[in-house]
Amino acid sequence: MPSKPISRRSSSATDLLPLFEYSTIVNSSLDLNFILGTVLLTVMGKMLVPRGLVLLKRETGDFEVVNAKGIEPETVGATVRITKSLRRMTYTDRLNKSDPWVAFFRSKQQRLLVPIMAQGRLVGLLTLGERMGGKKYSETDRQLVNSLVNLSAAAIEKAVMIEQLREVNRDLARKFQELNTLFDLSKEFNVVLDTDKVLRLLAFSLMGQIGVNRYAFCLAEHGKLRVIASRLDQAFGSEDLLKPLCSIRNSDLVENLARSKRFSLVARELQRADIAAVVPMKIQNEVKGVVLLGEKLRGGPYTKTDLEFLYSLANLAIISIENARLFQEGIEKQKLEDELAIARDIQQGLLPRRLPEMPGFDVAAVNIPSRQVGGDYYDVIQISRSEYIFAIGDVSGKGTPAALLMASVQASLRAFAPMALSLTEATGRINDLTCLNTGHDKFITFFWGALDAETRQFRYVNAGHNPPFLLRAGGEVERLDIGGIIIGFLKTQTPYPEGSVTLNSGDVIVMFTDGVSEAMNVNEEDFTEQRLEEVLKNSRASSAEHIILDVRRALEVYTRGTPQSDDLTMLVLKAI
Amino acid sequence: MADFKVHQRDGEGVSVIDLKGYLDAHTAPDLENAFQRLLNDRKFNIIVNCRELSYISSAGLGVFMAFIEDVRKNKGDIKLTNMSAKVYNVFDLLGFPILYEIFKEEQEAIKRFSEQKKS
Repeated sequence: MPSKPISRRSSSATDLLPLFEYSTIVNSSLDLNFILGTVLLTVMGKMLVPRGLVLLKRETGDFEVVNAKGIEPETVGATVRITKSLRRMTYTDRLNKSDPWVAFFRSKQQRLLVPIMAQGRLVGLLTLGERMGGKKYSETDRQLVNSLVNLSAAAIEKAVMIEQLREVNRDLARKFQELNTLFDLSKEFNVVLDTDKVLRLLAFSLMGQIGVNRYAFCLAEHGKLRVIASRLDQAFGSEDLLKPLCSIRNSDLVENLARSKRFSLVARELQRADIAAVVPMKIQNEVKGVVLLGEKLRGGPYTKTDLEFLYSLANLAIISIENARLFQEGIEKQKLEDELAIARDIQQGLLPRRLPEMPGFDVAAVNIPSRQVGGDYYDVIQISRSEYIFAIGDVSGKGTPAALLMASVQASLRAFAPMALSLTEATGRINDLTCLNTGHDKFITFFWGALDAETRQFRYVNAGHNPPFLLRAGGEVERLDIGGIIIGFLKTQTPYPEGSVTLNSGDVIVMFTDGVSEAMNVNEEDFTEQRLEEVLKNSRASSAEHIILDVRRALEVYTRGTPQSDDLTMLVLKAI
Repeated sequence: MADFKVHQRDGEGVSVIDLKGYLDAHTAPDLENAFQRLLNDRKFNIIVNCRELSYISSAGLGVFMAFIEDVRKNKGDIKLTNMSAKVYNVFDLLGFPILYEIFKEEQEAIKRFSEQKKS
């Protein structure tokens, strides 16, 4: 083995050369960790100390352990609040043991605290344990430690600043990324009118930006929150428990909510489902929904910036969801209006355009549909040279179903009328057919009669309809009420009996629907059949058309200031 | 609007997805569909080659998050390769290198898959 040349330099010179190298190495680096590691190892090597720490002063004034040698690595990251001004080297056994920070260093067997000063400012602390072999720190030792530390202080400070700059840069980049995400989504949300798609994009964005993959989206409905999309390991016990979140103001951590009285119960439920953060979705200060988020997959707590970003994101999404809802509602409303227009067309198409002329009789009719389209129907058909059918009815319900039922009644009426059937038989068949075609909730009040213009006989069946008035020329008033139950409710059990009257000159039959007798005034009181009868008595001498006009005028006066709530139909037959 | 394309190649025991163009909220559903197809076909060893990916937004990253669990549950993985510096910055900024293996070259990812299969 070749022998090493024996150095002739003095011991102080051997100390100086590595010191120079050390200074060059430390000061040429901008990597804080490398610098601190080098400083600590160099000092420990020179002093033969097996345990040491480096702490850096943070903006908060606390000291954070950034490097640990010979001490469990978990110590890195610990923060210490030092309550004494440390401007020179201090032994821990000369400090107050009951101070927590002193206790911390003593628990790590740290004996010597060396302040790291840069331009007169304390930037950190290097701490050392006992020397091996129990040697004391001599004055020279302490001077050497001081020199080593001070030589590095400027480099440490520079590196800390660069690290801070880097952090600021990263924060800026993150903010930029957040803005990009918001911009990206707002662009996309503007063109999407589908709630499911909005929620999927929202989910992707928060999974990507926050790094979370457990979430639930809830929307407010009638003061409750309903989960509409989620990715959770465990579903909520009950959506009712989420209700208090309707009053949440800001994004918050579930652990904070757990400490407030109002939210402690819901917070427990959220914790059970591994939810860590709650973000309200608000429009004009009203909570329209909430986003619930699990822990971040890459670890770490939700930061204030995270919560602010989520708040913006959630509010962007809810506006889009609300727009989608309004759009959908608009479509539904349009659909409904279209349907009503169709129903109105069907209904109007069923009514006779022109009434047939009949010798010796004067006929007039009126039908005023209400805005909502009810189910009034009337018809006058000539079935032979001298025979005419008169019909009036009121179908239950409104809209297209009512209009279609009316159409089917008219079809069977027109089919049966010309056949040599009695009114009794025909009514029975119409009833049976209608029963077949409808459920129990649909029915028709129906009155029809057959006039023989030669014999002036009027035979009729009343199936549950308001009995028409027969005003005799002599002043008596009769009601045409012979018949049976309403059409379409029960299959015909007993035949519908038929009534018959003979019409003499001046006699008037007035058929009407409840839109006349139940027309309401401002106090929501019905017009009533009594009032109708009074009007008819006074105007029975008039023509059929004038009788109708008189009734309409009376109704107009009575219902002034109220909207027409039901169809209004009258059919008047007068013997001349 | 910038184009985005997803193309799938099947190698031995590995499926490669080539991404091209802009991956943002608008195009994220395309990648979602591609992953879904792979899962439906029970192909769980997935390499996403980002050579021609020019931009990725958070929504794009979210798609990776949405599928990684299902893939790993089935003993597969999603590995990423050939990222431009710009795209890598976004991944890095949002902490994805902790969650995903990212390789310079596709070949390295293929090698890693075959090593994992052996072990």
